[in-house]
Amino acid sequence: MGVIDKVPVPQPMKFILNWGRRYSLWVMNFGLACCAIEFIAVSDPKHDFIRFGVIPFAHGPRQADLLVVAGTVTDKMAPALKRVYDQMPDPKYVISFGSCSNCGGPYWDSYSVTKGVDQFVPVDVYVPGCPPRPEALLHGIVRLQEKIAGEDIREKWSGKLTRPAAPTRT
Amino acid sequence: MGSSPARPPLPVPEISERLRAQFGDDVTEAVDRDGHAEVTVASQRYREVVQMLRDDEDFAMDFLEFLTAVDHQDRGELEVVAHLFSTSCNHHVRLKVRIPRDDARCPTISDLYAGANWHERETWELFGVVFEGHPHLVKLVLPEPFEGYPLRKDFVLMSREAKPWPGAVEGEEIEEE
Repeated sequence: MGVIDKVPVPQPMKFILNWGRRYSLWVMNFGLACCAIEFIAVSDPKHDFIRFGVIPFAHGPRQADLLVVAGTVTDKMAPALKRVYDQMPDPKYVISFGSCSNCGGPYWDSYSVTKGVDQFVPVDVYVPGCPPRPEALLHGIVRLQEKIAGEDIREKWSGKLTRPAAPTRT
Repeated sequence: MGSSPARPPLPVPEISERLRAQFGDDVTEAVDRDGHAEVTVASQRYREVVQMLRDDEDFAMDFLEFLTAVDHQDRGELEVVAHLFSTSCNHHVRLKVRIPRDDARCPTISDLYAGANWHERETWELFGVVFEGHPHLVKLVLPEPFEGYPLRKDFVLMSREAKPWPGAVEGEEIEEE
């Protein structure tokens, strides 16, 4: 990214860059189940996440900054989700919304459900619940924005953070 | 719906009687289950029965509602279940075909009802029933490398092997397998 990833960014510059990024999150909704309905509820006028700068009109993954995985990811669906994630430009963020995408949730013993979306994409914020209340997603978004505010942009753009952590499950 | 005029549904005893009259001992069981005829037929006459139900003017079963299987592990049998419906007469027939569990073969009806195609693929991958004569028996809803037939009762759930089911009510005894 030119100068930014070569020299250390001074603190005021970092603040302004992160401030700009945290309030313009174009979101891609990967809605797979009932959690997708809660996501839609968050985008409606009652809860209205546009007031936090989360814009739900990304025309595709290539214009999105934030991926919200809302619902039950199956092993069959996982490659499609990975493909959407890979198409998103850096810097990118993932919110895992609901128990199913966090860890499998009620399908923890299923033969077909992926036990946690973090097995193949790195997750920034986990929102628990089955399905979570819309307020829970707003809380998750605010936590993500706090995370972005404290971020070192060189580290984020180095590509190290967009690889998932090695699975630790037994 | 279709061009044929609406007729009253055939009563369940009459459906059973007619099928018995035409197929004799190959109809092993015919009962009234919640107002639907439930007919068990021998697998070698299954296609014939389906074709007759579809083409016969009185039956006029023009719609396949679903097709699936049931695993009766205790009897060593799989039961293929096909549910037919007549949109002009409004009656249902549930056909059952019993096949051995270790040699699960069943004739296809996908050439008689196009809608059976995907149902049979799904039944094949989930229960391991081979539908003989099916034009394209490949996996539908499971990922390609998947091994085993997950809806059979003896399919091992790896998560349950690692951790017992946590849903038991307190005081309830957990079954040991």
